[in-house]
Amino acid sequence: MPRILSAALLLLASLAGLGPGAVADAAERLRYLTAVYLDDKGGGMRWPEGVACSTSALVVADTGRGRLLRYTLEGRDVKPAGELVAPQLAAPLRVQIDSRGDVFALDGKQRRIVRFGAKGELKGYLTPEGVPEPATIVPRSFKIDANDAIHVLDVFGARVLVLGPDGKYQRHLPFPEAYGFFSDLAVGRNGTIYLLDSVKAALSAAPRNARDFTPVGKSLRTHLSFATSIAVDGRGVLYVVDENGSGIVLVGPDGSVLGRQLAMGWTEGLLYNPTQMCLNDKGQVFIADRGNSRVQVFAIVR
Amino acid sequence: MTRGSLVRSRSLWVTLGALLLLLPAAPAAHAQNPFRLKLGAQGKICLDCHPGFQNKLTSKFVHTPVKTGQCVGCHSPHTSAHGKLLSASPNAICATCHASVVPAGAVSRHKVVIEGNCVTCHDPHASDNKANLLKAGNALCVGCHTGVGDTAAKARFKHIPVSDGCLTCHNPHASDKAAHLLKAAVPALCLGCHKPDSPRFTQQHAGYPVARADCASCHDPHGSNTAAILFDTVHPPVAAKRCSQCHNAATAAEPFATRRAGFELCRGCHSAMVNEAFSKSRVHWPLVDRTGCLNCHEPHASRQKKLLNVAEGGLCGRCHRDTADYQARLAEKARQERPDSKVKVEKGALAHSPVQEGRCTTCHAPHASDSVRLLRNASVVDGCGACHDWLKHNSHPVGEKYVDMRNRNRSVDCLSCHRAHGTGYRYLITFPTPTELCVQCHKQLRR
Repeated sequence: MPRILSAALLLLASLAGLGPGAVADAAERLRYLTAVYLDDKGGGMRWPEGVACSTSALVVADTGRGRLLRYTLEGRDVKPAGELVAPQLAAPLRVQIDSRGDVFALDGKQRRIVRFGAKGELKGYLTPEGVPEPATIVPRSFKIDANDAIHVLDVFGARVLVLGPDGKYQRHLPFPEAYGFFSDLAVGRNGTIYLLDSVKAALSAAPRNARDFTPVGKSLRTHLSFATSIAVDGRGVLYVVDENGSGIVLVGPDGSVLGRQLAMGWTEGLLYNPTQMCLNDKGQVFIADRGNSRVQVFAIVR
Repeated sequence: MTRGSLVRSRSLWVTLGALLLLLPAAPAAHAQNPFRLKLGAQGKICLDCHPGFQNKLTSKFVHTPVKTGQCVGCHSPHTSAHGKLLSASPNAICATCHASVVPAGAVSRHKVVIEGNCVTCHDPHASDNKANLLKAGNALCVGCHTGVGDTAAKARFKHIPVSDGCLTCHNPHASDKAAHLLKAAVPALCLGCHKPDSPRFTQQHAGYPVARADCASCHDPHGSNTAAILFDTVHPPVAAKRCSQCHNAATAAEPFATRRAGFELCRGCHSAMVNEAFSKSRVHWPLVDRTGCLNCHEPHASRQKKLLNVAEGGLCGRCHRDTADYQARLAEKARQERPDSKVKVEKGALAHSPVQEGRCTTCHAPHASDSVRLLRNASVVDGCGACHDWLKHNSHPVGEKYVDMRNRNRSVDCLSCHRAHGTGYRYLITFPTPTELCVQCHKQLRR
């Protein structure tokens, strides 16, 4: 009788998506939807390296042209909505949107984060306040979580800085020992911070309120070439953007590799040195397809 | 019991006792002579057919099993699954007796020992050199370690222990104490000969307590062309003994701590270089991390020019392992199709020579660039044109005004058809054949 009961419970848990293999069993796939090539004036993108998205907006770091491009998302349509230009932003590399619609972009030249208001007005540099030594901060990447906390990957200080929306220091986590080079971070809905080590092809994670990072799974070297950015979905599935290998590697929360999506090429649906991707709650995926000077839109299919 | 029966009974017990004594001796004799060779035939019987081997036995040093005629110690006289009728794999047979040459918990092990290639150094039968070595002294080691041999031979300033023999500092098989088969870790190994408390030593090191430092960060232990056997490229502050330019004072609590971290320390002198790098749109990120310039450069001295940690190709490949591994695979593919093989050699290179030769900075700027992929040249066409002069005579239309038919945001350039790091296909093209490549754009020509 207890055996029958436990089997029934396991079946129910599996159906509810709570079972141990819930993530691994439901392999995500990316289905091509469309590609974005142009701004609102019909001008083309050049070497875009960053993308950020919500359910209604998309922002592209058009790195080669030194500007941000804004788009609105209506259904499956992506409509141009102007550009953001500032002298402080010569080479936007990474971009993020907070819950109020403010746009943050990392400038490759100054290596500082520039902030724009929801209406596109320049709000100046994000200036971290109260950060412990070292005073020098070199952000390689950053992510904004659901509470608008800004997580900065400070490669000079070998730490992840967690700042409030106003830039005030909240806490920091040191990089784990014996790393290669961390190129990106992601923040899960549950507050877990993930780090991508490009050199060692490895992931680390620190659950909410943890003080240290611990490895996630084994090295991904056999699955990718040289990854430079990551994104995480609501289920904790990590999307590792393999820049040199022109593909996306999906990794489960436990570090197990769920598969590889997309391949190198020039035609739509294929990637050529992708640099960043983002996901929104509508299951849309936007990939900065730098080598092809465009942003491609995919749907997550489970 | 009569006297006769008593005698018979005693002799019976004596016989039984003798038989019991012989019983354990029989298997032992079998173990010593498993092939039941005739008395005195061991070794000698082999020489009947291998007469040339007689000369070996006159060598100064003869392997014990050979000396005692135990050829069957290593060889099976009838059949074997291994070459030379060896009774075990040639990579494992030595370890059956000599397992202890690698201590448990060894920190470093000689590659040939790990691979069981003992015959790379030893003659398994006999030699005129101690330990049956194929060559005496350093000649054996430099047979493989040619770089070290050349350095030591050509060095203007010699390190005496090198002349005395590699084994002064290194163990031949493994070390349970240090890397590189060293008999002790640096600096303990060096301090075996060099006395750090001598006034001259202190003066030479500007008063810094280097007895706690890594001597090999400045000195080439195999000799060099620079006084004090410093590596051939010396950082000027080190040569001038101005250690305090970068480090705390020699008398400080932490004398080796640097005055600033990362690139901020180097910027004090190399401001022009750092400022130029920071004026570009894209920086090579390791330059601005915690380790900074030392990701690629040595702070004190180096064998390499520009104080690089290691030669350029290897240096870049340490982080960009995917590229390094891919180049190795391409080189192997090219080797398999070398001209002296029977395979028909096709025209067109499989690999790009600057990448193969580790000259990454031919195309990429190591510190920073305004171009994508840290390319030195903003224009791919101009970058390639620096070496390739196709554009001067005839070429497919390339340049900004020619739109790539596959993508309206891309113009046609060399990378529209080729990949600079190779593809596995001839001429570095992105499809197996030129036809397959061309019809990607010229669709009307598809068949």
